[in-house]
Amino acid sequence: MNRRKSLGLVALGATAALAVAACGSSPSTAKTTSAFDEAITKVVNPSNAKTNGTLVFDAAVTPDSTDYDNTYYAFMWDFVRLYSMPLMTYKSCPGTCGEQLVPDLATGPGVVSDNGLEWTYHIQPDVKFQNGVTVTSEDVKYGIERTFAKNILPNGPTYYQVLLAPQNATCAASMASGGNTGCYPGPYVDPSVNEMGLNAITTPNSTTIVFHLAHPFSDFNYVVAIPQSTPVLPSWDTGAHGGANFQLDPISTGPYEFQSYTLNKQLVLVRNPNWNPATDPQAKQLVNKIIVNWNMNQNTVDQDQIAGYADMDIQGLGVQTAAKDKILTTPSLKADADDAINGFLRFAYINEQVIPNVHCREAIEYAANKVTLQDAYGGSIIGGQIATTVMPPNILGYKSFDLYNAVSDPTGDIAAAKQQLSLCGKPNGFTTGLAYRSDRPQDVLAAQALEAALNQVGIKTVLSGYPTGTYYSNYAGVPAYVHSHDLGISMGGWGADWPDGYGFLDELSNGNSIAPAGNTNISEINDPTINSLFAEAANDNNAASRLAIWPQIDKDIMAQAAILPIVYQKVLLYRNPNVTNVYMDDYYGMYNYAVLGLK
Amino acid sequence: MAAPLDVSPVGAEAIPEAVTTGLSGQRIEGRSLGQIAWLRLRRDKVAMASAVFVIFLILVAILGPFLVQNPDTYHSNLLNPTLLSPNGAFGGISLAHPFGVEPQTGRDVLSRIVNGARYSLIIGFLATALAVIIGVFFGLIAGYFGGWVDSLIARAMDVFLAFPLLVFAIALVGVLPTNASFFGISLAGNTLRIGLLIFIIGFFSWPYMGRIIRGQVLSLREREFVDAARSIGARGPYILFRELLPNLWGPILVYATLLIPTNILFEAALSFLGVGIIPPTPSWGDMLSDAVTNGYYYIDPMYMFIPGMAIFLTVMAFNLFGDGLRDALDPRTR
Repeated sequence: MNRRKSLGLVALGATAALAVAACGSSPSTAKTTSAFDEAITKVVNPSNAKTNGTLVFDAAVTPDSTDYDNTYYAFMWDFVRLYSMPLMTYKSCPGTCGEQLVPDLATGPGVVSDNGLEWTYHIQPDVKFQNGVTVTSEDVKYGIERTFAKNILPNGPTYYQVLLAPQNATCAASMASGGNTGCYPGPYVDPSVNEMGLNAITTPNSTTIVFHLAHPFSDFNYVVAIPQSTPVLPSWDTGAHGGANFQLDPISTGPYEFQSYTLNKQLVLVRNPNWNPATDPQAKQLVNKIIVNWNMNQNTVDQDQIAGYADMDIQGLGVQTAAKDKILTTPSLKADADDAINGFLRFAYINEQVIPNVHCREAIEYAANKVTLQDAYGGSIIGGQIATTVMPPNILGYKSFDLYNAVSDPTGDIAAAKQQLSLCGKPNGFTTGLAYRSDRPQDVLAAQALEAALNQVGIKTVLSGYPTGTYYSNYAGVPAYVHSHDLGISMGGWGADWPDGYGFLDELSNGNSIAPAGNTNISEINDPTINSLFAEAANDNNAASRLAIWPQIDKDIMAQAAILPIVYQKVLLYRNPNVTNVYMDDYYGMYNYAVLGLK
Repeated sequence: MAAPLDVSPVGAEAIPEAVTTGLSGQRIEGRSLGQIAWLRLRRDKVAMASAVFVIFLILVAILGPFLVQNPDTYHSNLLNPTLLSPNGAFGGISLAHPFGVEPQTGRDVLSRIVNGARYSLIIGFLATALAVIIGVFFGLIAGYFGGWVDSLIARAMDVFLAFPLLVFAIALVGVLPTNASFFGISLAGNTLRIGLLIFIIGFFSWPYMGRIIRGQVLSLREREFVDAARSIGARGPYILFRELLPNLWGPILVYATLLIPTNILFEAALSFLGVGIIPPTPSWGDMLSDAVTNGYYYIDPMYMFIPGMAIFLTVMAFNLFGDGLRDALDPRTR
C-alpha cells in the first residue's frame, strides 16, 4: 500500500544516485537497470534517501525465535541487526569485504591478556535502548547470561558455555564428563543478589566488560559478533515480554523496534526514535516500516517477489525450480537476480571407523561422478560449483587444490578408483550403507547419483533414508548407530558460524568434536596432526599466521578421504528493482538486511 | 454335494429328444454357470479390452525389465546444463527415450515406468492375496457361526475400517529399521520395505472382503444344501470349506479384482509420501512425488503426465474388468 507512495520518490532516488556519481564514484551507479550477478560484487541502487515506504519480506518458514539471544538461523542473524547491536559485527559492504569484523557496540576489537584468558571490551557510552535508557556493560553481561537459560531459550549456539571459565569447581568437574551440574543456570533460575551473575564475566565500570575464558581462544572476537552479545535491559525481560516471550517484543538498540508481532504470522518493525546513526554506522534507517510475513508457501514467496508484492525472501536460500526457470529465461527478470555462493558446502561424510582403509575411501573419492552429484543439487546455477576442498572459497584461509581430479575428470576417474580398490585389498569392491535425509529431495537425488556412480566400480551401497528432524540426533549423528548399521557414507551439509577455518572446520574434523549423539564429525576424524593444528590455532593470537593453518587442515582431511566434497552451494536470489542498497554479504551468504531502503 | 457352479446337467435327469436335438435338428449343449458367465464376459467389449490391457501390463511387468535399458543410467548430456530440464520437446522424447528422460538426472522414463510396473503389480497382487485370505477366513467364520463370534469379528472389522491407515503406515515405515528378520528370514533394504508394504496394505484392507463374504454366508447357510450336509453329519470346517467356499468364488474373484487397483493406488500414495519403495528403485508414486516436490511439473509437465497416466490406466483397467466380471457372474446387479 505504501509502495504506491514510494513511487513518487523514484525521481529523488535517481537524483541521489546521480549526485553520488558526480562525486566521482563509478558512473555505472547512474544506470537505472542492474545486471545479472551485479549485487555479488557491488551495491545495487545505492541511496541514502529516507522514504515513507514499507519494506516487505516474505518467508516460507517460521523463525526459531525472533529473540537475538535464542536464534541459530543464518537469516535471523542477518535480520536481527535491524533491532540489535552486538559488541562486534561484520562490516556492511559487498562480497568478501562483508567478512571483516568491526566494532559495533564496542569501541574497538577485544584486548586479550598475555595468557590469552581475558578479553576486554569497552563499549560506546552514549548508545540508548528504544525506551531512552543508556546501555551499560551490565546490560551486555545480562544478555549473555540469558543464553545460559537453555531450558527457556534453547536455540542459540553454546560458545559461551564452552569457552567461559566454569562457574565453580563442581561445574568444572561436571563439564569434563559432558554434564553441567553446578554450572550457571541463567538469570531466571537464581535471581538472588549474592549468587546472581555469571562470574566469568566482570564489569569493572559501566563501559567495560571482561570475559574470563577457560582456555585461550584466539577467535573470540567472532564469538561476540554473534547476536547473543546484544545488551538487554534486565527490567524489560520480565512479565509479559520476559523469558520465552521476550521474542514478542525484544528491546531494541538498532534502527528499528517491534510495533507488533503475531507469532509466526506477521512481524511489523517501525523506526526506533532513540537510535543514533553516528553510533551504529553498519546499519541504516531508511524506510518507515518493515513487515515480515511468515509461514508462506515457497512457490508463493517466489511468485510474490517476481510480481513485486514482496521485496525480498528473508530465508536467502533462493528461488525454487519454477521461479528459477522463469527468471533465467526472462532477460528483464534475470537482470534483477544474483547467482551467488552462500558459504555452504554440500558433501558426503566417509566414516573412518566403518571404512578404515584409506584406499577404500579414496576409491569413493575417485569414483564419484561429480556432474550427476552437482545436478542433484540443482546444477551449476542453484546447485553450485563442483567442490574440491572442505572449505568453500568465501571462507578466510581458503586455498584451492584438487587431490582427486574432481575438476579435470568430473564424471569420475574409474581407473584410479579401481587401482585404489586393489591397494585396499578389495579389487571387486565392497558393500556399505549410505545415509541420507529422505525428506530432502536434493539429498535423495544425490544419494542415488552416488549409488549409481559407486556401483560402476563395484562399491555397492545400501541406501538408508532418515527424517531430517532426527538425522543427527538419532541416526547419522550417533557413532554407535553408524557402526552397528555399517553406514560408511552419510550425506551432509555445513555452513560456518563465522567465516574462518575454525568456524568451518572445527566441528567437522576436530577429534574432540566427536559426540555420542548430535555428532557433527560424522567421519570420526581423530587425527593427531589435525588436533594439534586446532590447538595451535586456538593459542595463536596472530590473525595472519592463523590463516595459514586452515588450508593445512583442509588438505589433511582431503588426503584421508574423510569427506567427499560435492558443491560449494549457490543460490539464485531475486532482488526487487525498487529496493536500494542491495548487495550480497559473503558472511551471511545472502543480501545484507541492515541497510536496505526503497526507491 | 450340490454347489450350483458345479452342477453338471449331463445325466442329471431324463432329457427329452426334442431338447437334445433342437428344433433345427442341432443338439443344444448344456452350459454350466461358469460357461454362461464366460459367454457374458466375452460379449462385454469394455471388460475384454480391460482384460487385454491387464494381461499386457502383467507381461510388461514380467518381461519388460529385460527389454528396456538400465533405469539407473544417468544421461546428463541430454539435459539443459542451466535449467537441468530435458533437451527437446515433451520432456526429451526421442527414439532412444520414447517417454523422454527425467529432469535433473537424465534417467530413461520408459525404463523407470516399466520397472515401476513390476513393483506396483507385485505389491498390488500380493497385498490383495493377503487381504483375500484373511478376509475370506474371518468372513466365513463370522457369517456361519453367528452369535458372539460374529459380533467379535464384526467389531474387529469396524476397528480396522476406522483405523487411520495412512498415518499408521507412515509411522510404521518410519520407525522400522532398514534390516530385520522375521521367523528366521532376514530381510534388508527394499525387500524388507516391499514386504512391509504388502503386509500393511493387505492386513488393513481385509475387512472389505470379510464383510462381503460374511453377508453372502449369512444367506447361503440357510440354504437346503447346507441343511442337507448338516443332516448327514458334516461338521463346521467341512461345511465352511467344502460347501460354502465353492459358492463364494464369484464374489471373491470380483472383489479381489476391485481391490487390486485400490492397493496399487495405496502403494503409489505411500511412495508419494516418501515411505514407499526406497530409491533408486523406480516407483510410479515416487515419480509423481518428484514431479511435485522438485518442481518438475513446471519445467517438464510430461514427466508428471506419464506416471500419472500409468497409474490412471492401470487402475481403470482393473476396475472396468472387475465391473465386467461382476456383471457376468451376477447379472442381477446390472
